[in-house]
Amino acid sequence: MTRMREFALPDLGEGLTEGEIIKWLVAEGDLIELNQPIVEVETAKAAVEIPAKWAGRVVRIHHPEGATVLVGTPIILIDTEPDAGDPPPVPDSASGATAPAGSGASAGPSEANGSRESAEPERISVLVGYGPRTAAPARRRRVAPEPSTVESRPSASSTVEHQPPVTVAHPAPVAPTPVGPPLAKPPVRKLARDLGVDLRTIVGTGPGGSITRDDVYAAARAASQPDFATGPDFSTEVATRPSTVAVFGPNREHRIPVRGVRKLIAQNMVASAFTAPHVTEFLTVDVTRSMRALARLREHPDWQGVRLSPLLLVAKAVLLAIRRHPMVNSTWSGETDEIIVKEYVNLGIAAATPRGLIVPNIKDAGRLSLRELADALTALVTAAKEGRTPPADMTGGTFTITNVGVFGIDAGTPILPPGEAAILAFGAVRPTPWVHKGKVRVRDVTTLALSFDHRIIDGELGALFLRDVGSFLSDPEGSLLAWA
Amino acid sequence: MSKALNEGLRRALEDDPKVLIMGEDVGRLGGVFRVTDGLQKDFGEQRVFNTPLGESGIVGTAVGLALRGYRPVCEIQFDGFVYPAYDQIVSQVAKIHYRSGGQVRLPIVIRIPYGGGIGAVEHHSESPEAYFVHTPGLRVVTCSNPVDAYWMIQQAIRTDDPVIFFEPKSRYWEKEEVDTTAALADAYPLFASRVVRRVPADRPAAATLVAYGPTVRTALQAAQVAADEGRELEVIDLRSLSPLDLAPVYESVRRTGRAIVVHEASRTGGLGAEIASRVTEECFYSLEAPVLRVTGYDIPYPPARLEDEFLPTLDRVLDAVDRSEKW
Amino acid sequence: MLDGQAALGGALDPPTTPVSAGHESDSRFRSASVVGSGEPEFVQLLTPDGKRLTHPEYDVDFTDDELRDLYRDMVVVRRLDAEGTALQRQGELALWASLAGQEAAQVGSGRALRPQDMVFPTYREHGVLYCRGIDPIKPFVLFRGVAHGGIDPHEHKFNMYTIVVGAQTLHATGYAMGVAMDGKVGGDDGEAVLAFFGDGASSQGDVNESFVWASVFQAPIVFFCQNNQYAISTPVERQTRRPLVHRASGFGFPGVRVDGNDVLACYAVTRRALDEARHGQGPYLIEACTYRMGPHTTSDDPTRYRTASEVETWQGRDPILRLRRHLESRGLADDAFFDEVNADAARQAVELRERVLAMPDPQPLDMFDHVYVEGSPDVAAQREEFARYLAGFAAEDGAGSGMAAQQTGGGRHR
Repeated sequence: MTRMREFALPDLGEGLTEGEIIKWLVAEGDLIELNQPIVEVETAKAAVEIPAKWAGRVVRIHHPEGATVLVGTPIILIDTEPDAGDPPPVPDSASGATAPAGSGASAGPSEANGSRESAEPERISVLVGYGPRTAAPARRRRVAPEPSTVESRPSASSTVEHQPPVTVAHPAPVAPTPVGPPLAKPPVRKLARDLGVDLRTIVGTGPGGSITRDDVYAAARAASQPDFATGPDFSTEVATRPSTVAVFGPNREHRIPVRGVRKLIAQNMVASAFTAPHVTEFLTVDVTRSMRALARLREHPDWQGVRLSPLLLVAKAVLLAIRRHPMVNSTWSGETDEIIVKEYVNLGIAAATPRGLIVPNIKDAGRLSLRELADALTALVTAAKEGRTPPADMTGGTFTITNVGVFGIDAGTPILPPGEAAILAFGAVRPTPWVHKGKVRVRDVTTLALSFDHRIIDGELGALFLRDVGSFLSDPEGSLLAWA
Repeated sequence: MSKALNEGLRRALEDDPKVLIMGEDVGRLGGVFRVTDGLQKDFGEQRVFNTPLGESGIVGTAVGLALRGYRPVCEIQFDGFVYPAYDQIVSQVAKIHYRSGGQVRLPIVIRIPYGGGIGAVEHHSESPEAYFVHTPGLRVVTCSNPVDAYWMIQQAIRTDDPVIFFEPKSRYWEKEEVDTTAALADAYPLFASRVVRRVPADRPAAATLVAYGPTVRTALQAAQVAADEGRELEVIDLRSLSPLDLAPVYESVRRTGRAIVVHEASRTGGLGAEIASRVTEECFYSLEAPVLRVTGYDIPYPPARLEDEFLPTLDRVLDAVDRSEKW
Repeated sequence: MLDGQAALGGALDPPTTPVSAGHESDSRFRSASVVGSGEPEFVQLLTPDGKRLTHPEYDVDFTDDELRDLYRDMVVVRRLDAEGTALQRQGELALWASLAGQEAAQVGSGRALRPQDMVFPTYREHGVLYCRGIDPIKPFVLFRGVAHGGIDPHEHKFNMYTIVVGAQTLHATGYAMGVAMDGKVGGDDGEAVLAFFGDGASSQGDVNESFVWASVFQAPIVFFCQNNQYAISTPVERQTRRPLVHRASGFGFPGVRVDGNDVLACYAVTRRALDEARHGQGPYLIEACTYRMGPHTTSDDPTRYRTASEVETWQGRDPILRLRRHLESRGLADDAFFDEVNADAARQAVELRERVLAMPDPQPLDMFDHVYVEGSPDVAAQREEFARYLAGFAAEDGAGSGMAAQQTGGGRHR
């Protein structure tokens, strides 16, 4: 049995928190018997006498008459073996703080456990009512992470189709079709309904196969039915036509509900435009040699039947320029305060559709040969036209090209797709008077417009990049020899 | 809080000579928690008196007194002892106004200390509020702090509907400054909930904690610790259980997307279920996770040595927030 | 100092000024109290001075040893009860409901039971429990918050303590009805039921309903009311205008009033009532007039509502003292005997104390046991959920049950 024992003020009546010491019935040095009354205490409910919990000698009285102490505060120290020689030394400082008599202020419990003398005093027992919580609230440490309790959605097959190496923000969805009702939480379901997306057709990428907001957005983009226009090749004449005629109501206004893809696009634009500081630089280039190169390619036996357009060479130009200036192929990551520069180029091609803008991308386009690139572009265009663009192609783009030339205009100030650092617009190719070898000639000229995120790309880098693209388009063969 | 209730009762006795206080040991002893201390001495034995030992008798005779024009404030000594009076409360007190076509009013207040955490023996730690909330015709309120205690008891006495007034006994000795000079008319409304910890609009709030009575303090402590961990939680003190004032809860949940209800009463059929149902209905599209409940388990109240395991604690509340975030 | 009482003498310290007269001390309302107010006498076989009385209807025939044993019983019961109060004041029990002053009523009635009889106590009958041969630690288990109940009613024919006032009288009546249905009434081996309640409980609907049932079903039950004059702070005059014994007649069965501080009279009256009940002549009401010398429980402060002089008056009627005087006057016991009894009581108290302090705490998951006989999937699921939750915490020094966590000071926050 521990020799030196601290006695703390117990809860004397069902939830009391403190007591006032009225009168000590013993003094330091007294020998006491078990259950001998030692102190009178007044609580909110009653005045009570407390009997000694142990026999022995009173070593120290911690709080004087008149003090109000909290339940759990040691009030007296007893040597339970007074005949066993000198007791261990006891420091002078009293435990806890006392309050002026009658003020109603409270003393705090001390850390008497093991802090006072060399012999370990007994752990303070504060029983029922447990006294006031004077220690700052703290949380018990947890060790094991809780296993996720989110239910999982079964899938028809667990095999993963081999995908070309792709590093995207979300893992590519598993190809097998999902079975069972779709798992999605209420806000996601609402989003799907607003965007006109059928949850049953989506493979979720969230925990347990649940469908996330991004999954819904991706599906919305893919589900659109684009009337994809890359424009007539080489055409410098684009007939204008009236756009959709609105039907005005009796108050001469026409209200169009903003929903679905349009709403989504608007949200994305706002997110992008008002997050990344946009700067646009322009370069007008003589692309006559590119047009001639395309014509020669069209005659090449290996390239029979391959659909060719200036877009192909613009794409190639961009890819080579990115290799020389990788920084333009990056993402600003606010949450981690990082710029993530990517080696892979998922080249997005903006497509205007009646349902709005979609931007499918070609994964890892930088590793494709010119032929592969041409085929990929063809596939992309065809799929977009037919509304078959797979959801995976709708996400993860790193650089975008937008062909505004199909609309017969020269340039624009395109808005970055969210998460990308730069977007290139190229305009109509027009026969234009140009200074060529010192003389004014009619050449095929187009304007390139590069919008970029000024947090990542400064004016000089943008210019360098743009000039590289321009150089390529002015002299594709020479550039291929020099850079490819 | 005990003193705040005492002062509030004193004011009520002063303001209206028809107010009576009746119950076991409320007179000379001043109540087992001293809530009626000194009132018999100052207002006399006609107005503050001990009843015989019978809860059914206390409430039943209060009905008669109310019919006669008095405003009885009954004390039921402990939550676990209200059941002999339950028949009088739900069959009579709750229904008489309705049955009389509005002719009869029973402005009765039944004060009941409730809840656990004081190391008591059986029947002294119950949380029976759901039985009364489920009964139309009754009003049910509960204070969580001394300021509310002081005002709410006076407002309850002034209400012409019968009010079951639950007092969390584990908070009886909590202290707070109360401005007793303010006017009752200006006091926070009786049947309104209150946001007791609001997250500023420019910071993201991780979850909404909904509590009442003794668990308000638990929720606030959990929020304090969560803030240290970098998560901001809003805390709402319901105060009124019937009627429930959930508009502030809805507003909060629309921002946080996550709601957690905390009460000592057992889980099944407890008020958490009602609140979860309403929040789900009103905030469906905002819910990132189901409404969770941190409650006593579906067992009889355990022996005192185990009550800390049974009652909602700071750790259990934060555990629920963690689980909510996994959805 | 009274024999066997622990050194708690000053605990009561009643006020020296009389409490103000009021409604409750109106003379019209004093008639319900003890002898001296003009009401029918109660049965008394031993005066406070220790003088032996005769009574036309009741008597006892104890051997000298049996008398000394009764004395020892009361001393031990008082001493163990005092230990309960001390342990509560020392923070080892949540609460203690002291029986101080009521030893004769409990030992007298307790010793009158036959083995086949069944007892329904309230929450203060530690003396009856002791006489029944039950381990005296049982009430301490309850008041320490380690377990509810804690007694198997069938093992010792003693029901669990019932804290809801008066509820047990209906249980007792139903049990007695069952005894009758089983045909165990009518002979010397018949079973009787002894149901305890207090003066306060007599106002509860349950108690009055039990009288109705017991009488119309002629149940073999003896209702034993310890009128200790107070229900917490409420004097018995607030529960009734006439002595409680008269209730019986209103409900249709006999009642007898006995000096609750006279162990011989209590024994005699209870013995006869039980024997008659077991022969089919129940029910019976016994009103034992005694006094609650201590507080209602350790949460109560009697100085707020009763006077020092009243307590002193009752100290003069002390149950143990009067038997001591009687034994001394008849030469049946000497100082050596009394010292030995005190030492025996002290020894038992110390032993009990050590056992209480060594009582193991319940384990957290235990609280999910025995909610249903046939189990419940909901409860089982919650038990699992709770076990998983607990398992997620880092180990702490002395962590385990809630109480241990409290003791580290960091503890749980509610």
